[in-house]
Amino acid sequence: MSGQGLTGLSPWSRRLVAVGVLLWCLVTVFPLYWVVVTAFKTPPGVVGGPTYLPFIDFTPTLQPFIDLYQGIRGEFFRTFLNSTIVGLSAAAIATAIGAMAAYALVRFEFKVRLGAGLVFFLLALGGYLLFNATFGLTRPQALLLAFPIALIVAVVANRLPLPGPILGNEDILFWFVSQRMFPPIVTAFALYLLYSEIGRLGFQLIDSFVGLTLCYVAFSLPIVVWLMRDFFEAIPIEVEEAAMVDNVPSWRIFIGIVVPMSMNGLLATFMITLAFVWNEFLFALFLTNSRWQTLPILVAGQNSQRGDEWWAISAAALVAIVPMMIMAALLSRMMRSGLLLGAIK
Amino acid sequence: MMRNDPIKHVFIWPAVLVVLAISIFPLIYSLTTSFLSYRLIPPIPPRVVWLGNYVTLLQEPRFWNALFTTTLIALIAVGLQYAIGFGIALALNARVPGERLFRVALLLPMLLAPVAVALVARMIFNPTMGPLNQFLSKFGLVNLPFLTNGHWALACIIAVEVWQWTPFIILMMLAGLQTLPEDVYEAAELENASAWQQFWGITFPMMLPISAAVVFIRLIESYKIMDTVFVMTGGGPGVDTETLTLFAYQEGFKKFNLGYTSALSFLFLIAITIIGVTYLALLRPHLEKRR
Repeated sequence: MSGQGLTGLSPWSRRLVAVGVLLWCLVTVFPLYWVVVTAFKTPPGVVGGPTYLPFIDFTPTLQPFIDLYQGIRGEFFRTFLNSTIVGLSAAAIATAIGAMAAYALVRFEFKVRLGAGLVFFLLALGGYLLFNATFGLTRPQALLLAFPIALIVAVVANRLPLPGPILGNEDILFWFVSQRMFPPIVTAFALYLLYSEIGRLGFQLIDSFVGLTLCYVAFSLPIVVWLMRDFFEAIPIEVEEAAMVDNVPSWRIFIGIVVPMSMNGLLATFMITLAFVWNEFLFALFLTNSRWQTLPILVAGQNSQRGDEWWAISAAALVAIVPMMIMAALLSRMMRSGLLLGAIK
Repeated sequence: MMRNDPIKHVFIWPAVLVVLAISIFPLIYSLTTSFLSYRLIPPIPPRVVWLGNYVTLLQEPRFWNALFTTTLIALIAVGLQYAIGFGIALALNARVPGERLFRVALLLPMLLAPVAVALVARMIFNPTMGPLNQFLSKFGLVNLPFLTNGHWALACIIAVEVWQWTPFIILMMLAGLQTLPEDVYEAAELENASAWQQFWGITFPMMLPISAAVVFIRLIESYKIMDTVFVMTGGGPGVDTETLTLFAYQEGFKKFNLGYTSALSFLFLIAITIIGVTYLALLRPHLEKRR
């Protein structure tokens, strides 16, 4: 952990490196400083050209924030609440079921036949086409019917001695993580169509809490499983083995021993997931329109609604940014204790 | 040690079910739609056209333009991120003065909403009232067309991407640097190897696996870029900065051309798979040699 790599440098080059780092630091901080300062400006303070120092260059005012709170420029208060509710619940659910899956992948052995996976995909696809084209069911009905049938047949098929390779835990993990590679536009657009067709059957998913949260849970699961697996692998197995000798059931080992031991990891994963959901734009753009609109959508809309009202734009951007700034401070404190290092190998 | 206990199914199935439902479902749905001619506005009943949508798309210059723009942004931005990020990680690892101060600012940009960052960028890149214009006008460069000229706009988007995601690279590379064994460097010191030789002989090769992983993650993520462009230029001027995701959004959500958009998103998926596989295949010999 000591000065590797730069040990051979002369004092002068060390100073040069320090200047370089400082320069990057300035580049990082300046836009943040700018948005904070601009949010407190009055209209004349903006139009007169760039100003930087409150009380010297311009007189600060709280007016932009009062406007925001009163909802003059879009319902910020409710949108903020939406983002908070959806973010917290999606992050909590994703962390919970993702951690369970990660634990299962670390401690239990799974065997999936590639043949069974293929059976699932072909049956789901074929069943969907069959129900839709031949029996005249609507598209979501056909999908909802084909999916469980394909799943049940695939689970049964997994027990048969099908030819082809057998996939293990590593492959299942790879399948989870590879979901992140997917361009989200593929999912977002199809989900939008699917949700709206399900909506026509009487169950509203577009612009609803359930629809948005479900989609965010699925979207965050790959990263949760990936991060949590490393945390769980770092836990010494001896404690669990001792509990098993005493015949403690597995679910109690998980909840009573493993979860408390990996609390830091769970917390970090929860926060990272929350940040993802809080900032997410594309899914929210497709799947919400008014009631459950989230902050990124409202903030993006500020742009077209008013050209040069920078004080309002800055205040809006700040509302979206500040919670994440607080989280960055918390995370960096956890990072200093070497917590996140375990996640990367 | 692996246990075998029926309860394992309770642990893994919720996650599998949710991911299956939300990813395989839409996949099947849009795969089948991509073979149809299907629009919502004006409403035309779906008609099977097989590969018709794909053929139209491959002949569409706007598609190739979007693919080129996205690739350009991804390659240049990730290249810069890697170079700057690795450099700063090295400096931080060497306990450069002021390192404490920097660590706090380190995490910030990557946790902020790209939409908000893009709004701030729009103000900073404003050609008349922005601070960047004020700074550059001291060097005689007044009112540069930051977001209204195609090339400038592309450069600005890349700059914002670099600003936002270099911290991610710094974070990962720093974590990697801290796991490197000390004794190799001590041996190199005894041999009087210069800092330059130490870097190319020890640090860089040993960091290759993690570098490969980090660049891979950033490359794939960069191909999905949409929010930043959406707010900063909206794809403009013209279609000069239109990325694949933005193109698909315009076609699907503005024109409701469902079959066409599904085909487009599948081409996107194929493109990203080809890029990912090529990248891994190119890198594999280097990675295996070191093990």
